Amino acid sequence: MRVRGCGTAVVLVAFALLAGHAHAQTTFEAATAAFKDDVHGQAGLTCAGCHATGGSGTYAAPPRTAVAMRCASCHSDAAFMRKFDPQVRVDQLLQYQTSVHGRRMAAGDPRAATCTDCHDAHGVRRVRDPRSPVAPLNVVTTCGRCHGDPVRMAPFGRSAAPPGEWAASVHAAALVARGDTSAPTCVSCHGSHGATPPGVESVANVCAQCHLREAELFRASPKRDIFDAIGQAECLVCHGNHRIASPGDSWVGVEEGAVCEQCHDAASASGAAIVATRRQLDELQTAVSGAAALLTRAEHAGMLVDEGRLALQLAREHQVQSRVLVHAFDAAPFSKAASEGLAAAGQAQDAGEAAMRELRFRRQGLAVATLLILAFLLTLWAKIRRLPAPPA
Amino acid sequence: MTSGEAPARRGVLNWLLGLTGGSVLASIFYPVVRYLAPPDIPEAAALSVNAGSAQALPANSARVVPFGARPAIVIRTPGGELRAFSATCTHLDCTVQYRPDLQRIWCACHNGEYDLNGRNVAGPPPRPLDAYDVNVTGDEITITRRS
Amino acid sequence: MSLRAWLDERLPLSDVIDTLRHKRVPHHRYSVWYYFGGATLFLFLIQVGTGALLLLYYRPSAAEAYESVQFIVSRVPFGWLVRSIHAWAANLMVASAFAHLFSVLFLHAYRRPRELTWISGFALLLLTLAFGFTGYLLPWNEVSFFATRVGTDIAASIPLVGEALVRFLRGGDDVTGATLTRLFGFHVAILPAIATALIALHLLLVQRHGMSVPPSVEAQASADPRAVRSIPFLPHFLLRDLFAWTAVVAVLAALATFYPWELGAKADPFAPAPAGIRPEWYFLWAFETLKHVPPTVAGLNGEFVAVAMMGAGAVGALLLPLLVASARARSVVTWIGAAALLFMGAMTVLALRAGQP
Repeated sequence: MRVRGCGTAVVLVAFALLAGHAHAQTTFEAATAAFKDDVHGQAGLTCAGCHATGGSGTYAAPPRTAVAMRCASCHSDAAFMRKFDPQVRVDQLLQYQTSVHGRRMAAGDPRAATCTDCHDAHGVRRVRDPRSPVAPLNVVTTCGRCHGDPVRMAPFGRSAAPPGEWAASVHAAALVARGDTSAPTCVSCHGSHGATPPGVESVANVCAQCHLREAELFRASPKRDIFDAIGQAECLVCHGNHRIASPGDSWVGVEEGAVCEQCHDAASASGAAIVATRRQLDELQTAVSGAAALLTRAEHAGMLVDEGRLALQLAREHQVQSRVLVHAFDAAPFSKAASEGLAAAGQAQDAGEAAMRELRFRRQGLAVATLLILAFLLTLWAKIRRLPAPPA
Repeated sequence: MTSGEAPARRGVLNWLLGLTGGSVLASIFYPVVRYLAPPDIPEAAALSVNAGSAQALPANSARVVPFGARPAIVIRTPGGELRAFSATCTHLDCTVQYRPDLQRIWCACHNGEYDLNGRNVAGPPPRPLDAYDVNVTGDEITITRRS
Repeated sequence: MSLRAWLDERLPLSDVIDTLRHKRVPHHRYSVWYYFGGATLFLFLIQVGTGALLLLYYRPSAAEAYESVQFIVSRVPFGWLVRSIHAWAANLMVASAFAHLFSVLFLHAYRRPRELTWISGFALLLLTLAFGFTGYLLPWNEVSFFATRVGTDIAASIPLVGEALVRFLRGGDDVTGATLTRLFGFHVAILPAIATALIALHLLLVQRHGMSVPPSVEAQASADPRAVRSIPFLPHFLLRDLFAWTAVVAVLAALATFYPWELGAKADPFAPAPAGIRPEWYFLWAFETLKHVPPTVAGLNGEFVAVAMMGAGAVGALLLPLLVASARARSVVTWIGAAALLFMGAMTVLALRAGQP
């Protein structure tokens, strides 16, 4: 069933709805309207390319369990696909077959997702088209149609919380609020065609795609073997998986509510190290915010403190680095970064204090000048008083 | 008052008037004279800034210098050419550095990379780095913002 | 030959000194108001001096103006002082000019033969306001950019010439770098040239006619000659004038140190106007009046009517001495002047209170 001329007479296609399928019966009008924007339509594919022609021109939809094979009849054929896009991948079916969706579909369960559920059947757009359901900004909505619906998830014993949790995370904020398309969506960690949750051993690899530095440090640290031994997912224990929030200095500690407290207690040697780390983090934060406040005060008083601002920027970067170095779980490199941050914050503080000193110096200079002027005015007044009375 | 005292008092008063008046004038002219002498940095660093010695920058190395209130990076490429860019990463504003092993500009925060033309080539940065003009007079490198 | 004699042969030195030696200034209960004219002149001289100093470092282009002012206040020794004094003296000069105007008005010093003195003086007041308006844009910060845009917008409500006038003021359709260069040219060359000529005329006339004595004091003098004394210009009046001028210097220095003029944020023509944009305090009364005027007055555009009335008021004020001859007319003028002062004061207070968060 390749490219062939479409017949002129067309009839309404009745598409049997299976329980829980997202698409309603697609009317002929809806299908042809959508197909105008379809990348397949633009490449010359016609209705008969995917549909078997029935009698009097009805177009039967392929059964859900057969959709993937039908799409793959072109999309897995490298020689064929090369004609349309020399660089396009042709391993989607292979990946799909390893995925949870694919395996369930292969076992005969039509409720699992297949190609048309994410890519649409008739208005297929490229991934980079912002209107595509698999464009980065739309991914969570598409996945969420099933994975965010408790009714659909209940039969599989899965939670419907993840899409909502992701939407409350810093990654969602980066993507949606800041437009940062490098931020991860569902497919970044779970894969798209090979969609599977990463296993416990491989979580760090997933996060490491972007958070390389933290991953390197973690892997070189004693924690990695410990977590592997106790069967704990690495990044997840402290950071969560979907509702990833901005970490705070207060996570480091052995008091109630701190993250480390889940395993460590205050009495042990590790507890002491944690407390020392937290102390340094707090010290650095105090120094940075104190310097920032002083510089702002100086600026509002009319002084300019460019060098101070530069030093503060440097201090903030050292602060970021020291927070990253927490993942080394080693006092030495962390302390080094923290003390560099303290030094830079100290420089910023010095610049602010110099500005305030200059301000005081100006006021002192004015006081002197005013005294001189007052002395002059006093003398002048005395002189005026002593002038001979003017003749009338 | 006797006629002898009055001239003496007037004399003291005039002398005092001269002294205080002179000091007031001095306190006005001193700032004016200081103002007229050009400062060490003769013009605002908004448009261009001195980026240090050219000789002290060998091939395949770089230097980060302040440019106004933001950092700038001056690079000597492996081929010996001098280039300068804004050193503020276009992703989340961390300060970038030069990686001689990669021969690329690298941001430690999220592993972003820029090539030697400032173009973002790997990792999250969405935009290239702003390029600055580089001029060398004698041994001094001057970098200038492009308007 | 002494230096004095050498100069005297060539310049009318002796004549000048003799005239000054014989010059006398009336001294009565209202003569303290005489000092405001001199104070305004002194402040003008301060502006010329500090302005010339600023010119050594300032750059009148949209790309560099803000940075050059920042350079002056942060890198140039005592640049902060020169700039703040220039900004504060501008405000003090406007206040002093208004005080001088109203004191002359209420003391009827505009009457014959001092009509030209009044007319040149009123023109100088308008020039002072023009100096303030053109100078305000030069630091090219957010506040001054939008204040200039709003201020020049008002000119558009004048019929026939409004549009052309706005284009003339802005150097284009909108406030841009062209406006900056144009207003700079007005501020440092054109307005000073006109002001110098008018000040020379004004001072010449003051010298010619001497200080006016209010009619009420003159009436008293005919009854009791001791009511109008006079003091010699040299040294009595001059030393008192020097006292006033030195006090002005002290006030300026204090203001510059304790209330340094803000740098603000650099102007961004594409940003939306921040809330609470308003012109300098001496234009506030006009601004507030325009805000309260109803959209139409007797079938005409409300803003136009208000601007027209203010224009008519200005013309009337300019030609005041020519319109007023009798004592009756003068007392009417006093009442009108008091009403105008009250109105401007009330509008200014209203505008300031509206600006309070």
